[in-house]
Order: sequence, then structure tokens, then C-alpha cells
Amino acid sequence: MSTARYDENPARAGMGAVGALVILLPPALLLFTLFVIWPIGEASWYSLFNWNGLGPVDRFIGLKNYKWAFESAVFQRAIFNNLLVIVVSLVIQLPLALGVALLVAGRAWGSVAFRMIFFLPYVLADIAAGLIWRFMFDGDYGLVAAITHALEMKPVYLLASDPWAFSAILAVVVWKYFGFHMMLYVAGLQGVDKSLLEAAEIDGANAWQKFRHVTLPMLAPMIRLSIFFAVVGSLQLFDFVAALTRGGPFDTTHTMVSFLYYFGVTRMRVGFGSAVGDVLFVVCVAFAWGYRRWVMRDD
Amino acid sequence: MSIRTLALASCCILALAAPALADTTITILHVNDNKTAVKIWDQSAADYNASHKGVKVQFKYLENEAIKAKLPTMLQSQDSRPDAFYSWGGGVLDAQTKAGFLKDIKGEVGDVANKLSPTAVAAFTVDGKLYGLPFDTDAVPIFYNKALFAKAGVKPEDMQSWDGFLAAVKKLKAAGVTPIVVGAGEKWPMHFWYSYLVMRIGGSQALADAKAGKDGGFNNPTFVEAGQRLQELAALQPFQPGYASTSHAQSAAIFGDGKAAMDLMGSWLLGMQGPNASNGKGQPESNIGVMPFPTLPGGKGEIGDTLGGVHAFLVTKTAPAETADFLKFFSSEKYAKEAAEAGAYIPVVNGTAAYIKDPLVKQIAEMLAKTKYHQNFFDQDLGPSVGRVINDVSVDVAASKTTPKAAAAAIQEAEEQQ
Amino acid sequence: MTEAVRLTQAEEIGRPGLPIAAVARLAVLIVLATIVLYPLIATALDGFKSLGELHDNPLGLPRQWDWRNYWEILGGARYWRVLGNSLVIALATVFLTLVVSAMAAFAFAHIKFFGDRYLFAYVQIGLLFPSTAAILPVFIKVRDLGLLDSYWGVILPQVAFALSMAVLLLRNAFKQIPSELFDAALIDGCGYFRFFRHVTLPLSGPILSTVAVIGFVNSWNGYLLPLVMLDSDSRYPWTLGLMAYQGQYSTSWQLVLAFITLTILPAILMFLLAQRYIVAGLTAGAVKG
Repeated sequence: MSTARYDENPARAGMGAVGALVILLPPALLLFTLFVIWPIGEASWYSLFNWNGLGPVDRFIGLKNYKWAFESAVFQRAIFNNLLVIVVSLVIQLPLALGVALLVAGRAWGSVAFRMIFFLPYVLADIAAGLIWRFMFDGDYGLVAAITHALEMKPVYLLASDPWAFSAILAVVVWKYFGFHMMLYVAGLQGVDKSLLEAAEIDGANAWQKFRHVTLPMLAPMIRLSIFFAVVGSLQLFDFVAALTRGGPFDTTHTMVSFLYYFGVTRMRVGFGSAVGDVLFVVCVAFAWGYRRWVMRDD
Repeated sequence: MSIRTLALASCCILALAAPALADTTITILHVNDNKTAVKIWDQSAADYNASHKGVKVQFKYLENEAIKAKLPTMLQSQDSRPDAFYSWGGGVLDAQTKAGFLKDIKGEVGDVANKLSPTAVAAFTVDGKLYGLPFDTDAVPIFYNKALFAKAGVKPEDMQSWDGFLAAVKKLKAAGVTPIVVGAGEKWPMHFWYSYLVMRIGGSQALADAKAGKDGGFNNPTFVEAGQRLQELAALQPFQPGYASTSHAQSAAIFGDGKAAMDLMGSWLLGMQGPNASNGKGQPESNIGVMPFPTLPGGKGEIGDTLGGVHAFLVTKTAPAETADFLKFFSSEKYAKEAAEAGAYIPVVNGTAAYIKDPLVKQIAEMLAKTKYHQNFFDQDLGPSVGRVINDVSVDVAASKTTPKAAAAAIQEAEEQQ
Repeated sequence: MTEAVRLTQAEEIGRPGLPIAAVARLAVLIVLATIVLYPLIATALDGFKSLGELHDNPLGLPRQWDWRNYWEILGGARYWRVLGNSLVIALATVFLTLVVSAMAAFAFAHIKFFGDRYLFAYVQIGLLFPSTAAILPVFIKVRDLGLLDSYWGVILPQVAFALSMAVLLLRNAFKQIPSELFDAALIDGCGYFRFFRHVTLPLSGPILSTVAVIGFVNSWNGYLLPLVMLDSDSRYPWTLGLMAYQGQYSTSWQLVLAFITLTILPAILMFLLAQRYIVAGLTAGAVKG
């Protein structure tokens, strides 16, 4: 069945190949199947039952878990919040990252140091960054308190206010992740061909034209990649919610994952939580597959 | 500061010493923030360990929110399952017995159980099996700050009716005082308000009827009206600014700092408002008063009806035999008396409530002694999933994020989804 | 990565001869750097304050440097225990990920067998969705295997979810090894395992370190998986330990801030010492994956 690709002595090496495969592949395949593929399959199965994780899985309820999820105002809001994160990533975070990348990609004074500073938050755990900002946003003790104090205003509790609490989370997302995207763009910018820029200069192009017609097209693959990470990352957002708001106030700051945790896992509604997980799974797979197929096809 | 240092130091010592000394370790999980009570518990464990070679009992603290989130999974794990844990009884207990996590200890502790308040013991008896021993009971009154009441010119006597209560809230607002502090970031403190309204409107049968599905279940007029009344109160903006993200501990700190006039809370507040206050002392007890939740116009509930809890340590099925033995030891008159004398809580060992000296705790004990209808906390009574929904909707209704009708419907729906 | 070979458009902005642009550039960067760094610095400083001072003076230097908050944490077992747990979990995750994925990647890179493309595609499915989507069934699986509340209950799922990316990165790198080397080795009677051990692995240092860095950072910073799997605080990694600490001392921000400072310190020190490798690892991994 198996033959070594570079084989000149089929009999001996063929035996070796089989032996090698039997040893090399199973650990990875076993772990991957057991903890990734099998559970995701089970999620689809559990999602058809009302099951609290104990006893037999026998209360079949069809697609009701999905119905309950989509009817839940909290889940609808969570999906909306996930979309907001994506929009903010695309409209604010990525342009900011690109702009900063243009400032620090070269050898100008301080570039390396600034790059490191901007990248630093990315290395920290989301949960710690979230708590730090929970303090910053605290109406009594943090940055916000200091500002309102200085302006002699009443304390403002950002994380307790319905429209502002999620904006606070969005700000933390940008604070923490723009440095990562900046670093991707820096890597991309360093690959831009200098001779093209010179040629454009000779043709009399101004800075904007050079950026628009030379730099940007050369960066396109990196931008597509960065968008991919921004979207996938925002779909997984959980730690900031846990650290900053636990979904409050009034369950307005949930994301799909935090909804899954607070309404599925902690309440041990395994069937319901599996349905929510399945929705997340379908969204992620559809996006990842479609994006790779249609947008990143040439990269 | 020094208590914390001590606690940290003793943690280190315990952590280092544990494996070497003890053969049997018994872990008891609890959520009590009241440091006076925990000190007595730790002492009881130390006493027991000293007199029982080879056994080491330890109380372990877990934050309230964490225990509700983690306990269902902890009970499923052979390794992390505590030997005994803090319980509020109710539907949560039912779910735990059904899942087979608990151990019937009636045979071992029968003689001691006879010395405890029968209603408290009954709360932890399911189908004739006793799964743990209760140690305290509690009623939720309204705690108020006397100085702030005086400042606004309101009197508790005038606040026994809902209208009088609302009028007082307005007066407090007008005097620049935050009328009510509530840790709504954790949701359950707000559900005390909703629960009491249901009890005052619908009387002693309201919750039982709703659970039995009578008259539309939770969709019945009582629950809807309770939501409306809560909104009526909330419309006066009586809560501290940012209440939607305030934790329970923070709310105790606000009361302790004298920044709010009222707190609808269990007696454990008295043990929490001091240590959490920014000066570490909080309000002197002489400045704190206790009053019942007001009655509602046309309501079936009486002013003496109490919402509260009775707490026990339940024994899990894999716990070593010494666990029940320790609970017997722990339920002796000695520790109950100490807790009563220290004002830590209201013990359920017969006769020991008489030792309570703290005037506020004593008042609560008297409320309990007189009550004709004592209702367990709704979120515990209703079981793990519906209970959390009632907490969710209490906050949402108070903030007008949902209508009273939709809130009642959400509880009913959760009941049907169970 | 940190040295640009060519002069790019980006560099023109900071080029001498354009003083206004250069000054504007610096101004923008300094403002941004302040926004990025300020919360971290304030967190460290506020750990020295009392709660009262935190209220009156949250932003400035402490009026009195009170080291007690820090000493109490450093002197307690809790801090060291949570860091130790994180280290054990992260090291085991990295080690297992490297071993298991390198073995599979080697097979996919050098051995042609029936269905190899499908099997490789199968392993790549993990790149399409996050581990969180199946967290409840994974929890049930871990429970049924009796691994709940053990290090393994966190390590094994982490490894499984790191595999897709690791196998992809390693296979692509292993394929770069010239086939002549492989042929020669086989003719010399050098078996697959000796080749793997003596040629592939030594030649793959950079990509192995990339996989290691990604695995370590993800595990070190992980929160949801340990949150669901672990119950005993004796096994909590620092992320869970931090949240538990915050829950316990929620009204004493100064203590929480000191605890945050001390728990993120290892990551910051690591970053300062090995920034080149960490940045290269995290971004190269992203680009090549």
C-alpha cells in the first residue's frame, strides 16, 4: 500500500515506510480525533436533546435548542456584538495598524522600540489586560474616575451602562490587538520593492499616489491575512467579557462564546450549549472556508 | 491587613504541612464572606483535627458566583468533588440528589439532627433521606443607616406599606442620599426585591402555585404585578449609580461607607460591611437598623412573612466516613453558641439562638421565630437553571430592559425548558 | 525582521530633511505609546498605594511607596503556585505538541501513502474553527475519561487544538529539506527514524521554535479551557488564579493590581529578553499558517 516517495529500493524502504507510518501518525490522529473531531460531532448530536450532562441522553427535542437560542434576546445581542467587533476591527483597528506600520516600518529613529511597545499588549493574557482595563474604567478608582474627578463631574460607570459597556470592550480589543496587525504590516512593508517606488517618483507621483498605487497593492495579501485573523479572533472573544463585565449590565455585552459559557456551561445545559457551539462552528467554518476559497485564493 | 497576613501565612503552612501529617483530608467548601463565622468554623476544624489523629478537616472558601458556576462540574469530578459543601437546599438540592452526588447520613447523624430545628432539617431531607446538617438560618430584612434616615427625615414606622416606602425613597433622593444599594452586577441581590414583591402580593402560595403551573404558572398576575411594582420603585432611580455592575462585596462596601441608606440583604451583611468598607470598619452597629419589607396594597402576604434561607453542609457520596462525624461535632452546642454570641449568624441548634447578643441579629432571629411563612431564596428553590433565569429577569425588569409580562414569561419558559 | 533591507515608502516619512514630518511622526508615536503603556505602568504603581490613596490619586506616583501589598503576595504560596501550575501546563503542552506534530508532519512531508492528502486535509480541519465551539462536548469527554480537574484535562485538548497549525507549519518546513539528502540517507541504509532524528530535527530549529513559542504563549495565556476543566485552586494556572483573587478581594483594587502586576511580570520579562524570537514566532506563525 505504501511506497516511499524518494525510494530506490522499494521492498526494504516500503516496509520501513509502513512501519514508520504506524508509529508516526497515530498519536496525532488519535488526539485530534478524540478532542477535536469527535466532540464537534457529538455537539451536533447533543444539540438535539434536552440534557443536563447527567444520566442518559434521551429527551429528544429536535431543533428546539436552536429555536430557543435564536429567540433569546441575549443571544441576538451577542451575535450583534460579535459583528460590532468585526466592524470595529476592520474600520478602526486595521487602518490604525496600517498607519502606525507606515511610521515604524523603516529605520527612522525609535522604530524598533515603538514596534515593541505596540506589540507588547498582544503578548499579555486577555484576562489580565481585561482586568487592568476594568480598573481603568472603574467609576470610583481608575482613569475614568480621575477624569470625572478632575472635571468635577459625577462619577461615570462605563461598565454599568448599556450603550457604553460594550464600547469599552471594543476599545480594549483595539488596544490589545492593533500591535499584532501592525507587525504583520511591517513585515509586509519590508517586502515592498523599492525600485517600484522610485519609478513612481520619477513619474511624478505624490506620496498618496505612491501609497495608493504601489504600497497598498503590494500589501494586499498581508491585509487579507490580517482581516482573516481579525474576524476569526473576534468570533472567539471571551476573556475580555469575563474580565470586564461578565456579560453585564443586563446581559448586553455577551459574545457568542460568553453566551455559550454563561448560559450553557455554568448552567450545565449541555444540549443548549452544544447548539450554540454548533452555530459558532458553522459560522467559523463557513467564513474560514469561504474566505480562503474566494478572498485568499491567490495568496 | 493583619488578618490577611495571618490568613496568607496559615495558607502557606497548611499547604506545606498537609500532605505530611494527615491520612484523611476532608474538604468542606463554603461561600461565607462573614469573617467572624469563618473564624469559628476554622476553630471547630482545628479542634476536631487536634482530637482526631489522622484526620484533617479544612474549610475552603469559594466566591459565591464561582461556586454557583463551578459546583455542577466539581460534583462530576472524582478528584475535585468536595467532601461536603455549602447548600441552600431547594431545587438545587433536588437536582443534586437526583444526579446521585450526595450521601444519606441519616443513620450516622440521627441523634444530632434531633437537636436541630425540625424545619431546618426538613429542608435537607428528600424522600426520607437526610443529606447534610443545617447550621444556620436567616431572614432577609431591610438594613438601614439611621443617620441617613434622620438626615432625610424618614422613619421606618412610616415605611411598612409600599406607598410609605416609596414616599421615603423620594425623600431620601431629595435629601441627596442614595436610597438603596444593590449588587446587581451579580444579579441575585436584585432578585430579593422581586421575590419579596411576589411574596407580599401573592402570599404563601404564590411560588408553589406558579411551580405547579396553576393559573398560567409564572405568567400569573402575581408575578406580572411584582415586575410592575419593581419598575415603579426603579422609576424613582433609588439605586446607587452604576448598580448594574456593582458586585455583592462592593455593595456591602458602599453600605459600610455610609453611601447608601438601605440594603435588602441577609444578616451576613453585618459581617461584610465592616471589612469591605474603605476604612476597614464600616458603620457602627448602633447606626444600623433593621426593618421588614413593606406590605403591598391588596396583597395577600403579611409583613411578618420572611424570605431567607437555611444553610447546611451536604455530604457527597465519595466523602470519607469521618465527614459525617465532623458535621456532628460541628453541630454541637458549643460552636452554635459561639456563633450566636459573636453575632455571626442565627444557629439552628435548639435553644442556642437565645445566646445572640447582637441586637440586630437578635431582631432578625425574632422575625424568624414569629414568621408564619418562611420562603427559601427563590433562585435556590427553583433549581439550577430556572433559578438563574429569575435572577436574570429581576435585573432586567428593574432596569426596564424587559417588560414585567415578558419577564414572567421568561421564567415560565425556563421552567418548561427544564 | 527588525532590519529593513530596502528603503521603503515608510522610511521616507522619517527621512532627514523633512523635519516637520519627522516631528509629527514622533508626536503621534509618543501619544500612542503613552496610551499603550500607561495602563500597565499605572497598574504597577497603584499596587503601591492604599485604597484611600487609590481613590484620591489613581493616576500619579504613590505618595508613599507601600511595599506590603507586593511582599504579601510574593511571600504567600498562592502566587508561586499559580505560576508553577501555568508553567507545568505550558511546558507539557509545548513538549507534546512538538513531539506529536513533528512525527505526523514528517510522515506527511516524506512518505507517500494511500490517502495521504485526505488525511492531511483531515488534520487541517482544526484550522477552521476555535476550540470553544465544542467546549461542552470536550468537557463531557474529559469527564468521561476521568481527567476532569487534572493537568491532563487541560493539556490534551490544548495539544489537540494546536496540532492543525503545528502540523501545517512543520510539514511545509520539512518539505524544504532537499530530497537528495533524503535519497542519499535511505541508500546509506539510514532509516526514517534516524533521518528524522539526525537530519530533519536539527535542520528545523527555527520552525520548531516558532511552534513552541505559539504553543507556549497560547497555553500560558489560556483561560476558558482551564476554567471549564479545573476546579481545585491547587491546580489553577495564573489566569484562573488572578480571577479568583480578584473575586476574593474585589473591593481592594490595590491588592488586585499588585497581583496583576506580579502575574504579568514573567510574560513582560520574557518578552523583553526574547522579543526577537517571540515576535518572529507569533507573526511568522500567522503568516506561514
